[in-house]
Amino acid sequence: MSYQNPKVAEVADVLKRRFAELENKADILKAVELKALYAEIPTLPPEQRASFGKEINSLKQELQELVAKHQEQAEALPPIDVTAPFDVNTPIDKRPKLLPTEHGSKHPLTTEIERITDIFYRMGFEVVESREIDDEYHMFTALNFPAGHPARDDYDTFMTVQKDKNDHPLVAPAHTSTMQHRVLKAYKERLEKGEPIAIVTPDRVFRNEDLDATHEHTFHQIEGIYVDKGVHAGMLIATLKTYLNEYFGENLEVKLQPFYFPFTEPSFELAVERPAILRKDDSEEQKWLELLGCGMIHPNVLKMAGIDPEVYTGFAWGQGIERMVMMKNGIEDIRHFQSGKLEFLRQFV
Amino acid sequence: MKVSVNWIKEYLDFELPPIGELVVKIGAQLGAVEEVIDLGVKYKGVVVAKVVSCEKHPNADKLHVCLIDDGGVVQDVTRNEQGLIQVVCGAPNVREGLLVAWIPPKAVVPSTYDTSDPFMLEARELRGVVSNGMLASGKELAINEDHNGILEIDVEAQPGQAFAEVYKLNDYIIDIENKMFTHRPDCFGQLGVAREIAGILGHKFTSPDWYLQPLKDVVEKSSETLPLEVRNEIPELVPRFMAVAMSGVEVKPSPIWIQSYLSRVGIRPINNVVDITNYIMMLTAQPLHAYDYDKVKAIDGGDTATLVVRKPHKGEKLTLLSGKEVEPREDAILIASATKPIGLGGVMGGADTEVDENTKNIILECANFDMYSIRRTSMAHGLFTDAVTRFNKGQSPLQNDKITAKAMQLFGELADAKQASEIIDKVSLEGNESSLSENTVHNPFSMEPKFINERIGLSLNEDEIIKLLTAVEFTAYDTEGAIHIKAPFWRTDIKIPEDVVEEVGRLYGYDKLPQELPKRITAPTQRNTLLETKAKIRNVLSRAGANEALTYSFVHGDLLEKMGQSKDLAFQLSNALSPDLQYYRLSLTPSLLEKVHPNIKAGYTDGFGLFEFGKAHIVGESDPDEPELPQEAHRLSFVYAANKGIGAAYYTARKYLTYLFNVCNVEDLIFEPLVSAGVLNDPWIEQLVAPYDPERSVLLRDEEDYIWGVLGEFKPAVRKKLKLPELTAGFELDPLLFVRRQKQVTYIPLPKFPKVMQDITLRVTADISHAKLLKLVTEYLYGNRPQHTKLDVVTKDIYQKEDDKQHKHVTFGITIVSYKKTMRDEEVTMLLDGLAEQLGSAISAIRL
Repeated sequence: MSYQNPKVAEVADVLKRRFAELENKADILKAVELKALYAEIPTLPPEQRASFGKEINSLKQELQELVAKHQEQAEALPPIDVTAPFDVNTPIDKRPKLLPTEHGSKHPLTTEIERITDIFYRMGFEVVESREIDDEYHMFTALNFPAGHPARDDYDTFMTVQKDKNDHPLVAPAHTSTMQHRVLKAYKERLEKGEPIAIVTPDRVFRNEDLDATHEHTFHQIEGIYVDKGVHAGMLIATLKTYLNEYFGENLEVKLQPFYFPFTEPSFELAVERPAILRKDDSEEQKWLELLGCGMIHPNVLKMAGIDPEVYTGFAWGQGIERMVMMKNGIEDIRHFQSGKLEFLRQFV
Repeated sequence: MKVSVNWIKEYLDFELPPIGELVVKIGAQLGAVEEVIDLGVKYKGVVVAKVVSCEKHPNADKLHVCLIDDGGVVQDVTRNEQGLIQVVCGAPNVREGLLVAWIPPKAVVPSTYDTSDPFMLEARELRGVVSNGMLASGKELAINEDHNGILEIDVEAQPGQAFAEVYKLNDYIIDIENKMFTHRPDCFGQLGVAREIAGILGHKFTSPDWYLQPLKDVVEKSSETLPLEVRNEIPELVPRFMAVAMSGVEVKPSPIWIQSYLSRVGIRPINNVVDITNYIMMLTAQPLHAYDYDKVKAIDGGDTATLVVRKPHKGEKLTLLSGKEVEPREDAILIASATKPIGLGGVMGGADTEVDENTKNIILECANFDMYSIRRTSMAHGLFTDAVTRFNKGQSPLQNDKITAKAMQLFGELADAKQASEIIDKVSLEGNESSLSENTVHNPFSMEPKFINERIGLSLNEDEIIKLLTAVEFTAYDTEGAIHIKAPFWRTDIKIPEDVVEEVGRLYGYDKLPQELPKRITAPTQRNTLLETKAKIRNVLSRAGANEALTYSFVHGDLLEKMGQSKDLAFQLSNALSPDLQYYRLSLTPSLLEKVHPNIKAGYTDGFGLFEFGKAHIVGESDPDEPELPQEAHRLSFVYAANKGIGAAYYTARKYLTYLFNVCNVEDLIFEPLVSAGVLNDPWIEQLVAPYDPERSVLLRDEEDYIWGVLGEFKPAVRKKLKLPELTAGFELDPLLFVRRQKQVTYIPLPKFPKVMQDITLRVTADISHAKLLKLVTEYLYGNRPQHTKLDVVTKDIYQKEDDKQHKHVTFGITIVSYKKTMRDEEVTMLLDGLAEQLGSAISAIRL
């Protein structure tokens, strides 16, 4: 490219020569000479400004192209034969290897979920995963949230722009209870043959909540349900106590506190005696660990899945995973879990 | 919900257990206790004193020197010969004869008790005169905000009496978590909690008469009436709206006992009118509002004050009591005069009609609002008032008449008010104007004890159940085997028989339920093969030095664009917290790639592998099992990155994949070069392969042409935008592959004869793919090998001379063994000669 304006032509010449020697080629775009040319525009008589400006712009464009071309070249990797088991020209001792075993790790949350589901599996519970996108029916209606209930607003629950067939937005489930209706329906036949429904559902859930060290919008829950003839609240307590004793490996007391959930009646919060190793002091506060929400499945929830609440009763519970893992390991910030930081991940070999 | 133990005691006719025991009981049977505050300790040492004399301070205009009588109870204090104590006081209202609260030396000022710097008094000189402690203001006593003068004790009290005793400040405040009462509107009042405490302690509670039946003729009627008109235009959102005008109001501070109750449950005393409405609210959970009648009337300019209950008109604005101006949300419940908004119904009153010191006439409003509408308005405008906390639980519309009457009585007693209009009562249940009946809130049930016992595992009889329920004022009686049960009007939560089960269980005590595991059947629990497979892969990859990560299911639209994916195909959140979290993922690889650069920067430059299990979604792709929902594609993604190394990263990722296949016993797939895969025309695959470099990636295909995933390196643009090192590669595939393509173990008997091993190196043109070459080699060898032999072929080396990029040298190792005899080298040599000849003619290969 040749430039009409002698000044521009001169600068172009200087810069192109410098470009060849530059280590970081992109620096050429920051050259003082280029800036000086731009600075000159306002000092020129108005009738010359346009053509001068145009020339500088073309120079700049030429330089940009040079830089882009160079970057492409730099990035062009030697071709490979993707059907071969290894690269040509790699000596035998340099062929791809697996990383050292001691660097490997499993995510502490999935490890915890595996541990908990294993306990329930041994107690006779099957494991069914949940969904990441669900509809308003499974999230609310099937769980006995009345129309107009505030939880149906988008203050707490993420919703999508895309709508379902009833013109409701789809939702990012705020709890794994969205699976209850499906599971009840799917296992109804077995229930009627005399097999209790015993299911746990671990998965990720979402809440419209601002992030900080103790709050995440994405976290994990494990949900459980048990339905049969003659199931009562005492069985709920005994089942969860059995699980917790197995989990903590010691015999710990549990206590219930009344609570409210739309999908259980009665509803409780269950606290377990905090294992000594996790206690900071002897206070009453430290004695109990509020761990999970639970209750007897609301008759409307059973009814909606076609199960007669006069004949069958059941209980359900839900537990967050993050808090347990944080407490056990002394993890200070919940955001580490989804950070992908190796510094964090590699600690959980 | 703050509960004052002394306040609830006023409604209980039995002794409460010690506070510790009471709190445990409340936690177990009513709701979790957040905090218990011992109020009494704040007032330790503060005593009632009488101002016996009050002289002007000799050296200060605004101070007085007082002699006070404390009944002689305080020790270690300087007294005159009459036993009186000298205190200097700067309050304008100090005078002879007053009964005051005296904070003696060595006592702590109550308002500073809980602060980081509690202020302990001592005897000290003020302008040359010794003051022994101080006479306290309402503010110093933590009763109100009044610091203009000292608190004048307005009830019977004796000098020397502990001040706390006078106003029942020897109190405990029990703070119960609000969320425990989500469905219990009645428990947002002291009265409701008092009833529950009686119930769980096994005592029968009786509500005060005024709460059960509206009081009649409790307030004088004014000779002059104040015209008042009420219109309810949104009966579907406002089931009941009561209002009455009252005249002759004298606005002044309310009695100390009311102020004291309010402040200890967290309400700031303001004046008698506001305090009465708050006192009733804190007692019964029914919010009230008082408007200045004359201000309401003046807005419209007529002779009548009008309250219109309606939705806002477009663009209408309202300045609230807090001073904040709002444009009420479209569906808010607005209270307006005939012409202008004057309040955000159930949330906050307006500033224009606020009761002030000049108010003479008021309108008292006692309404019932739709709980969901109140909550939405509260959230939309960020207004979280005590009224909202109560209205959004759904108050009973059957209590308004009782509460209106009680409030009128208090206005008469404490503000000298007279009734100046009819009590207007607009009732409209379910949107229809209809009269209230006993069954408005709920119908009675008839249930057998069996129903209850089966659900809580007890064996209570009729009498025991009746006793539990009637303690909290249910109607319950035995009707031959069944119990007739009707909940009281304030229990809007009791809707179905199971609600009664809860009530019985809770009142009985869940800690007393028999703990019993359900009986198990012996049928085996079914496994979840996908989860088991994931667990296995986790173990394999982590043992192979890779790190399992979890990343958000939501990504930034920019990331999708950088990857060359289509934003339009991603589900989009309408209420994302930030643009970073706006789209559901179309695949997992981009999320892992985003984590590469930060980890390199953090010093992990020698190479690392990240993997994640997750799900991908694409708009328009329905779930085969639930067609109304989007399909959720299970994915396993793996990314390897290193700052330095030899050869292409592709082969490291591939090494991981083949290792995984081998260890998990999965049948091999065809590695088909992406560049020659042709038009894919499947949105899943298109989005999946978008970031992968077609020249350096393969599709993972099975013989039935089903695509399981992709493996390869990333496009230069992707590497550049995410600052990925040259050595970055990965794969993403459907983990169901590992379930569906499990290999049968095919045992091959072990030959007894020795193996013969020979290598063959072929020079071929560089453009022949390894797959093709290997196929030709194996096809020939298998087709021409001697009978009854076992044959293996492995690629041992691929080599290219520096000066000849047109060709490559590939070495295969051949192992062959016979089941029948010892194989001779010549046989193998012949076979390989044949192979060389065949390939020489087929692809011009030259044996080296």
